[in-house]
Amino acid sequence: MTLRIDRRQFLMGSTALAVAAGISPAFAAEALRMIFWGSQARADRTYGVTDLYAKAGGPAVQGEFLAWGDYWPKLATQTAGGNAPDIIQMDYRYIVEYAKRNAIAPLDEFVGGALPLADFDKDQLDGGKVDGKLYGISLGANSVALMINTVDFEKAGLELPGQNTTYADLPAMAEAFASKGVGKKLIADGSGSEPMFENWLRQRGKALYTADGKLAWEVQDAVDWFKMWADLRAAGVCVSAEDQALDTGPLETTMLTLGKASVIPSNSNQLVAFQAINQDKITISNFPRIATDAPGGHYRKPSMFFSVGGSSAQKEEAAKLINFFVSNPDAAKVLGVERGIPCSVSVREALAPTLDAQSQVALNFVANLGSLLGVLPPSPPAKAGEIDSSLFRVISQEVGFGARSPEDAGNALFTGANDILSRAS
Amino acid sequence: MDRAVSTSWWSRAWQANAPGYLFLLPWFIGFFGLTIGPIITSFYLSFTNFDLLTAPEWVGADNYVRMFTNDPKFLASMRVTLFFVIFSVPLKLAFALGVALLLNRGMRGLPLYRALFYLPSLLGASVAIAILWRQLFAGDGLVNDFLAIFGIQGPSWISNPRYSLWTLIVLSIWQFGSPMIIFLAGLRQIPQDMYEAASLDGASKSRMFWKITLPLLTPVVFFNAIIQTIEAFKSFTPAFIISGGTGNPINSTLFYTLYLYQEAFEFFRMGYASALAWFLLLLVALFTAFSFLTSKYWVHYDD
Amino acid sequence: MTIDAPSLTVVTEDSAGRRLRRSVGSVAAHALLIGASILMLYPLLWLLSASFRPENEIFSGTSIWPSSWSLDAYFRGWSGLQISFSVFFINSFLISILSVIGNLIACSLAAFAFARVQFRGRKFWFAMMLMTLMLPGQVTLIPQYVLFRSMGWVDTILPLVAPKFLAVDGFFIFLMVQFFRGIPKELDEAAMMDGCSWWRIYWKIMLPLSMPVLATAAIFTFIWTWDDFFAPLIYLNNMQQYTVMLGLRTFTDSTGESDFGGLFAMSVLSIVPIFLFFLIFQRLLIEGIATTGMKR
Repeated sequence: MTLRIDRRQFLMGSTALAVAAGISPAFAAEALRMIFWGSQARADRTYGVTDLYAKAGGPAVQGEFLAWGDYWPKLATQTAGGNAPDIIQMDYRYIVEYAKRNAIAPLDEFVGGALPLADFDKDQLDGGKVDGKLYGISLGANSVALMINTVDFEKAGLELPGQNTTYADLPAMAEAFASKGVGKKLIADGSGSEPMFENWLRQRGKALYTADGKLAWEVQDAVDWFKMWADLRAAGVCVSAEDQALDTGPLETTMLTLGKASVIPSNSNQLVAFQAINQDKITISNFPRIATDAPGGHYRKPSMFFSVGGSSAQKEEAAKLINFFVSNPDAAKVLGVERGIPCSVSVREALAPTLDAQSQVALNFVANLGSLLGVLPPSPPAKAGEIDSSLFRVISQEVGFGARSPEDAGNALFTGANDILSRAS
Repeated sequence: MDRAVSTSWWSRAWQANAPGYLFLLPWFIGFFGLTIGPIITSFYLSFTNFDLLTAPEWVGADNYVRMFTNDPKFLASMRVTLFFVIFSVPLKLAFALGVALLLNRGMRGLPLYRALFYLPSLLGASVAIAILWRQLFAGDGLVNDFLAIFGIQGPSWISNPRYSLWTLIVLSIWQFGSPMIIFLAGLRQIPQDMYEAASLDGASKSRMFWKITLPLLTPVVFFNAIIQTIEAFKSFTPAFIISGGTGNPINSTLFYTLYLYQEAFEFFRMGYASALAWFLLLLVALFTAFSFLTSKYWVHYDD
Repeated sequence: MTIDAPSLTVVTEDSAGRRLRRSVGSVAAHALLIGASILMLYPLLWLLSASFRPENEIFSGTSIWPSSWSLDAYFRGWSGLQISFSVFFINSFLISILSVIGNLIACSLAAFAFARVQFRGRKFWFAMMLMTLMLPGQVTLIPQYVLFRSMGWVDTILPLVAPKFLAVDGFFIFLMVQFFRGIPKELDEAAMMDGCSWWRIYWKIMLPLSMPVLATAAIFTFIWTWDDFFAPLIYLNNMQQYTVMLGLRTFTDSTGESDFGGLFAMSVLSIVPIFLFFLIFQRLLIEGIATTGMKR
């Protein structure tokens, strides 16, 4: 410390020195550093758990949280600068990139020890594996879901969509919307939603990617997909391309929040967040089916992981803290289902009675998918995120704005995706 | 060589150059201590496959080759940026100069207007701006409400690929406060007695503007033009917040630096992003050098 | 306030007609300015109104007038984060004020050298200085982080403040150079004749005559440092050290629960200090005229 002050003094003079020394880092060396994305609401829950952990005699935790868009450049910079935190919240989309480069550590050696994971759901555990090794512990399961404005459906005199609703039913529902003067479209344009495409492919018995990271669908699938949405768009069932392009990702730009459509594709754990910024009552349901007897397109997806920094000096301590997060019933009560449904059976049972109504809805939805539930797909290749954000969305917009035909778009998506996949290797 | 002569050569050189270097001392410490290292490193990285998370490997000119032979997005983003530079810079400068001239007259309440006009520039680039801009330029936004008075039905400006870039140009012009303040400071520096002398000679107002104001303002015009152009080429934040970092719709607002940022932090190709950055530097440096070369014909300094 | 140039003209036409024409012109100018102000300010009024709105009305409500007014968002925003906003305001003040001091000293020294002092390599170093402005910061971020980390500066405010004392922002050097060059050179030459050192010329002639540009630099430094979020985002880890802009960004997360009311309310408050700073320093910008309006 003294040595560093001397250097500062040299550069800054004594006034600034006093100030700088007054607010220099306050971490104790043995504190665990943790980083996650989210806002204050999530931070309150997370720090509630770390406080519990400290009370139970665990080490102190120095937490840091940022918005999603700020999180990734900061984490990359910290990692590149050799300053990665001990515990890192990971996303399905980035875990492969970080794992392949050893920026996060495999946790297999701790399983059974620091991480007992005795009654942890097997599929959720597998979701955190890359090349057969465990890199992330799921903080909660989650499923894709439609967010639905219930008031609009009352106005239209329709029942809420459910397990028997198919894509073919949508035009009739849209007609009811129009005749009863609901004043918005039935559904957002889902043609650029990768989860929705995946769900639809799985109902066709296909998938996005094979286990060895190749495309698991053909050109015709993509053509059919874009064709279906082009028809829905032309019939006024879904919103116009111009409206859909207002959606840049955040919840406040979705067609539901902007009042352009009553139904949008989303995730089950976002129900509470949507409700907070919408006046009408929101509920969730499954994605439409392609036929009532189609195979299950849904799966329980690990929504967020905790991983351990590859250069962490306290990997075992970090693993113990993660274990506390996923297995302690009191911790679960603090966390609720904000990150997703807990993956451990005993924790779920302890948690269920304590949840509020909206959280119950999310929990029940994921628990009762029934025949809609399919197997967990293999973890996507490293460049899947790039295909989604730089190719899929753009091509869907090109179809929407009439710059490409569905046939053309299907081909472009197929060749473009293969290009990106081959460039990666 | 004679020792005495050598000493006097040194002492002469010292006497001639020392004051300049002493005044520059803080800058030199900053330049060599903080600035140049990262710049050189990024140049080196542009010849590697640096992926942020593992050590960089040398790939020669691969990144530059890919840029020019096999990257449609490089061309697309360059086109977007050039369009933005060409339209936003002159419009913003003209606006800033016009308002500065208006605000430089002896009028009641000028400090208030100055402050009001500067307010939008205070907002910087927050999430709030993104929401505001959608309120204004969406299909059911305020701009179209206004146009509807005249029976015009406008498109959704912000999300239609044909117009979306224009909403960013408008944003850039709306935040014209900084060049305006610099123009004002420049106008302040013009000695009043020159106007007094000219009006005694019976010069008209427009003549005074063309013969006194504008020539004496050229160093400031030059500064604003260079800086605004460099900034426009590097422009990142407006597109980042308004399109959520996507360059939406159909990459119509994919600014060059936004693309560079995606490559670096989203797709883990910092090596390639560095190459993109160095090409931009080359382009901007050429433009700046050209401006400096031509400046002696139209910029009037007092030295 | 200012000297109105036309009022000094020697006129031949009758002064009543002239006065009338002037007042018509002035009404027109005011009308133009007021109209433009409203256009400029509408979005800000929207922001202000949003900060008083109920949370679930922010995106669905269409009128600029909230259905009910509430200060909730202000209270919630001020103390709803785990650290009170007062801490962020203090941090931002500290960083911004130090940056202003650093920039004014270091950049004016460098600008004086480039504008006035003759020395070998002047043009070369000036070009180098300009070059540092041209490279997008995204690609120097990581080497810079590594550098600051090796000096033990990460997680302190030093990476945000110390560079300002070393004139790393070429914008301000270039700006000051342009203004320094506008000051009559005969002044230096006369002072040289009187045996003044370069230092005295810098201190006694150049700085006092450069009030407008120094005020401008102070305004910009303060506001830009205040508004900057990327450097604080990267270098500050501990929320206790967060700036106002970082605090604002913790209200929203695009993937989950957000507090937009808090965001808007604190956004409104965050503008107040920089607006006041601007109001105070623009006086200096105007007073500059008294000293620079000299005979040449």
